[in-house]
Amino acid sequence: MTSRNLEKALDIVSALITGRAVDNRGENAGLYEEYQNNSEVYEYAQIILKKMNLNLFEYNYGLYVSPGENNKTFGYTNEELKRAIGVKLNRELYLCYFIIYNIITRFYNDSGNYTYVEYVKQEDVIGSVDSTLSGIISNLSVLAVDEVEAGSFKELALVWEDMPVVSGEDVSVRASRGSKAGFVKLVFNFLTTEGLMLESDGRYYPKDKFKALIENYFDNYKGRLYEILRGDKDDATH
Amino acid sequence: MAEEYILTRDIIQDHSERMLNIKKYYPYFKLTEGAFSQFGGGRYDELDMGYILMAVLRFFIEENNFREKDVTYDEYKRFMHDIYRRDFAIALDEEEENEVTGYIFDKIKNDGRPFSYTYFDPADKKRKTVRMKLIDSRIKEDTICYYITSDAIEFYLDTKEIKDESSISVAQVLLSKMITTSNFKGGIEVIKRINSEVGRLKARKNEVLNILSFDVFEGTRAYEEFVNTGMRWFEDEQKLFVKNMELLGEAAKRMDAYRDAEGASDSTADIYYLEAELKKAITKHSELLAACTDLQIKADEIIAGAKFSKLRRSFNFKDALRMMMENDDSTVLENVILPLLNLNIKKQFSLTSIDRLLSAKVTAEEKGEKIEKKEAVEYVYEDELEEQRISDNYRAIIRVLADKIESCNIGESFDLRALNMALAEVFGEGIYKNGDYYSMLVHMCQKKSYDIAEVVADTDTFFEAELKAAAGDMTDVAFELSFDDEDKVRLMDMFEISNIYFTRR
Repeated sequence: MTSRNLEKALDIVSALITGRAVDNRGENAGLYEEYQNNSEVYEYAQIILKKMNLNLFEYNYGLYVSPGENNKTFGYTNEELKRAIGVKLNRELYLCYFIIYNIITRFYNDSGNYTYVEYVKQEDVIGSVDSTLSGIISNLSVLAVDEVEAGSFKELALVWEDMPVVSGEDVSVRASRGSKAGFVKLVFNFLTTEGLMLESDGRYYPKDKFKALIENYFDNYKGRLYEILRGDKDDATH
Repeated sequence: MAEEYILTRDIIQDHSERMLNIKKYYPYFKLTEGAFSQFGGGRYDELDMGYILMAVLRFFIEENNFREKDVTYDEYKRFMHDIYRRDFAIALDEEEENEVTGYIFDKIKNDGRPFSYTYFDPADKKRKTVRMKLIDSRIKEDTICYYITSDAIEFYLDTKEIKDESSISVAQVLLSKMITTSNFKGGIEVIKRINSEVGRLKARKNEVLNILSFDVFEGTRAYEEFVNTGMRWFEDEQKLFVKNMELLGEAAKRMDAYRDAEGASDSTADIYYLEAELKKAITKHSELLAACTDLQIKADEIIAGAKFSKLRRSFNFKDALRMMMENDDSTVLENVILPLLNLNIKKQFSLTSIDRLLSAKVTAEEKGEKIEKKEAVEYVYEDELEEQRISDNYRAIIRVLADKIESCNIGESFDLRALNMALAEVFGEGIYKNGDYYSMLVHMCQKKSYDIAEVVADTDTFFEAELKAAAGDMTDVAFELSFDDEDKVRLMDMFEISNIYFTRR
């Protein structure tokens, strides 16, 4: 162990935590080289990030980091996220998650296969959410209000269905909670500030970070994710 | 006049080329015509020469081109043996089979001669002969080997693999003719057709990509078909575009030469319009070319990706969504989405925390805390206190007892009453109410004699331990106890004890 290697590893971790790119192109190309070629630096960086409950991914000659499950230090709380996206209620937040999930499925069928769709537009996402919720929405015509449980997909479908596609004065679709298009725009704005997507003329292109996380995170943690999906949310066997 | 010239030129100049293109089909029809009707008295008429020819050519392509080896007659014979058994319901004995196989081979080889036909070349005003072989032979290491000719390969592939030329090329050929006949208005219409075809191919490219994204197998088929029917013509189409631009340039020059002639200005305007349209078409075609190159790269990536993903199981987003919706729990979405977000390094106070912060009293001055050195507190428990008390009382009584004994000569004795009085002198009569005194007497009476020097060396009972502690320098004191059960000593009319005599030794 040399203190120089430890310092380099800490430089990498510090750059990643503060949101600076570590790849073979930018200002931290030297650090990336160290990570790639110096096994001790690689090992230290891995250990430090693991101890901090952060996931590290490599994609297209770049390093990307994301908070691990239940990371209280680096993860967002619901309140923080609601503020960041611009929604007020929990069900609106979960609708945002659902919209993001639909955006993912526009680009990926599974974590191993990129669909090679180059970009998505607002209307594509609205259509996608419409069709994924269609099964639930068709059952909403006759509905007892008490039947709608908090946190259920029915609740999301109701929020979605009760919004117009665009609100009356909303000619140039502003991000807002008042219409489907506005809601999707809120989500796109959030994804853009998170560095996951790039907007050009109403088209949203996935950035490398988006691809890195989708292709690695879901692949690496598929076992745990399937556990959660089956309802073993608190099982700590992972 | 010009039209007539073109017509005549097409008929005369191009005739030879057309005849050469026909030649590859000639042997097929020549061979299939009445092939087995005369042979063996028509016994083998069930065999189909057309099918056999195509099968044999495919066999030769397989051996010569794919495996890169020549074919011997025996190998050909084995191949034919399988054909008879598999494809024709005809029973042949060995001799018949040899005979038929030889006959077919000679026919295909045309007995070693090329198939030939004659045509009239109007340009040279001569009759010419076109010759073509399907199978040729050579000698290798003393063995005659056979191989398929390039003409035969071209014929075979032309029957299926190579489709008609692209409609863009056909339209361009038409355009060339229109330019050369100065039909510029018609040319503009043709360019519109070319543009619509380019647009169709672009749309098809996107369709192919879409199919590839969702179903690699179906997508690969669609992609291959697209390559064969669209992309393979791009180079030819580009050449034709260049040729048409050149033709148009020549037409413009011609028009300049006749610009004073009647209607020349209309034609010049048409030429420039056509030229502009053609340039647009070329740009669009180049875009299509770039898009298709991109498609090629992506198709390769998708196919490679699909190969890898077949080996490892991936996280299927649609399946996962179905599971979530079946459980009707949208909250699990956060487990899927949150890991994609940035690290949250900007920490914020919640409004309630800020509220508390503002309403909390702040002291005017911070005072330092004085730190003093303190002994560590030792806790003394109640039983320890009891023990300490008993021990103190015993020792005090023992000292009085020891003084009393010391004051006696050896052999002299005193009784309990005398001791009681001595104790009362020191401690007062309250000593008679002290329970420790009585318990000490009980402990003391366990033995009948004590020698302090011996007790110091070897402590046996609880009383001896206290005696040793109380003894100090009184090491020469020794005494004996004797009891008088008849004589009862009464104390304060409350307690009664048998009298005890203490005798110094």
